[in-house]
Amino acid sequence: MKNDSAEKMSSRAFFDTERISPNTFAYILMVPAALVMFGVVIYPFFYNVLLSFSNMSLRHFKDWHIIGFRQYGEVFSEKIFYSVFFKTLVWTFVNIFFHVTIGVALAIILNRKLFGKGAIRTLLILPWAIPQVIVALTWRSMFNYEYGAINLFIAQYFHMTPIQWLGKPLEAFSACIITNIWLGFPFMMTIALGGLQSIPRELYEAADIDGATGWQKFWTVTAPLLRPVMIPAITLGIIWTFNNVNIIWLVSNGGEPSDQTHILVSYVYKAAFNLYRYGYAAALSMVIFAILLIFSLFFLNRTRASEAAY
Amino acid sequence: MHPDEQEEFNKILQEYMAQNPDIKITALYKETETLRSGFQIAAIGGAGPDIVWGPSDQVGPFEAMGIILPLDTLFDKKYLSKFDPKALVYGHGHLYSIADKIGNHLMLIYNKSLLPDPPRTMDELIADGEKFDEATKGHALVWNYTEPYFFIPFLTGFNGWVMDSLGNPTLDTQAMISALEFMKDLRDKYEIIPKSCDYETADALFKEGKAEMIINGPWSFGSYKRAGLDFGVARIPFMKETGLWPAPMVSPMGYSINASIPSWKIPEVVKFVRFLLSPQVQLEFTTHFETIPTLTELYNDTSVQNNEVIKGSEDEMEVGRPMPIIPELRAIWDAMRPSYQAVLGGTETPEQAAKEMQRSAVQKIKEMNE
Repeated sequence: MKNDSAEKMSSRAFFDTERISPNTFAYILMVPAALVMFGVVIYPFFYNVLLSFSNMSLRHFKDWHIIGFRQYGEVFSEKIFYSVFFKTLVWTFVNIFFHVTIGVALAIILNRKLFGKGAIRTLLILPWAIPQVIVALTWRSMFNYEYGAINLFIAQYFHMTPIQWLGKPLEAFSACIITNIWLGFPFMMTIALGGLQSIPRELYEAADIDGATGWQKFWTVTAPLLRPVMIPAITLGIIWTFNNVNIIWLVSNGGEPSDQTHILVSYVYKAAFNLYRYGYAAALSMVIFAILLIFSLFFLNRTRASEAAY
Repeated sequence: MHPDEQEEFNKILQEYMAQNPDIKITALYKETETLRSGFQIAAIGGAGPDIVWGPSDQVGPFEAMGIILPLDTLFDKKYLSKFDPKALVYGHGHLYSIADKIGNHLMLIYNKSLLPDPPRTMDELIADGEKFDEATKGHALVWNYTEPYFFIPFLTGFNGWVMDSLGNPTLDTQAMISALEFMKDLRDKYEIIPKSCDYETADALFKEGKAEMIINGPWSFGSYKRAGLDFGVARIPFMKETGLWPAPMVSPMGYSINASIPSWKIPEVVKFVRFLLSPQVQLEFTTHFETIPTLTELYNDTSVQNNEVIKGSEDEMEVGRPMPIIPELRAIWDAMRPSYQAVLGGTETPEQAAKEMQRSAVQKIKEMNE
């Protein structure tokens, strides 16, 4: 008994607000998470900043030193940066456009009374549930010139000449985009469906009384009320797509043909691990970070997404 | 290491740990490219596995980065003299890798039930291929021809090579132009290979009996055996035009030791590497996967002597050329790939491609060595 009460006394003393303030206690609780964040985000980030100012490479792997802005100079002076950047923009905006349009369209359909809605919803979410590597490799084999399902299909049902999907730059880039569209629309669909379900039915009933058409209801009720939900999702989608190295790398087999299907992140990977240009790759990755940071701040600010959400 | 080889390797590990209960070993399997990048990342942080196994061309960059140990002082001369010299990989005068398998080279693998006698010359290959294609509406020969590594036998068949003795690229040559034209002809003129073909497609077509022949390496033997194929191994056919045998790149697969390991651990690591290179372990792999061992005493063993696949593989190796281990090779692959694929895609002529490969290789080597 004596020991029990001593323990209680000691724990009470530990949480005693006179000895430790509630804020301090909250900070103590945050320490483990902060340590993990420091280890996996903050330290690698600043290490990368440091490398971007260094000459770290194959020949200076252990004895690297700071060389200022030279790597940044190289990034902006190489023509390939601009062509890969342009492809990255095309890749991102084409993908996001289709992710959002297909996702929202399907969400609207699924938000209505529909036979077998549960099963259809599960099927539509399936692309999201399958690991990206499997999706990419499956699509790659479907794009095979002679034996792939896509060419067999278009030859049999549309009587079209088979397309050299993986052998020509534009076709290979399109193949990567098609794969990523298939992979990405379920995310937007799920978010849009959640948004649609939170729109009060009364608004549609009022619109019906006013004699609004389906199209008018979409533009005056659905779209404005979906916006606060969709804008952050689109921002996130843009960042993910901009940085999606898996699909490009696996579908095009590392930028094939002729290194014509690279986006900035796959190009960074190649510079770092194929050509051992660590300093250069770190500088390029900082440029990518700056592009995405500026874009996100600008986009969220212009669309006032956070204001509308809260 | 392929999954079936991994299974065998795990058994060997268990055996070693049972003999040495104080030692715990974890094996981590990675594809060649991910191993290369993963080991570099780990090495930046002074970590990574104690032992790295892989093809000899990874030794060049690892040695240049200083992330693997020289092995000369860890293994005595008498011990090293037991190995085929091709198994010992040196860089700047020091030993950096000891192989447990040599070869890793490309060869012609044929399905005996579809093709009892493999073609000896390219003319025979084309004639036989055209007959097979007409009869089956398939393709006689398949391989991962979009990858420049698989193009090397054709380049060497026209007496070309990727670099000179000083490591300078030698890609803008008549040999390169002729080899590129020949490759394109095999696909577009003679139509004996598919219009597009990567490794997985080629492998699947051969396993399903839809192709008579495949150009592939010894790593594929295990899976062909498992698929129940009755296959034979032969040299890639002779080029009458040049009077040369196509020469694939030959490289040993071996063990290197991480430079970051603490000194107290080195004796144990060396002991384990010796075990992995021992005759019984090498024979296990030879018996199951038809690999060519590196200990010369095993060359007279019946499992090596009586094995037709190993004999065929050795025969191809005789005309092969050692794969350069200097890091510049990576820049050369990278320079070759885009233009090689552009020729196949019809967007560059062989002449333009050869010029562009050379220019790009020189530039990439310069960037790499900055």
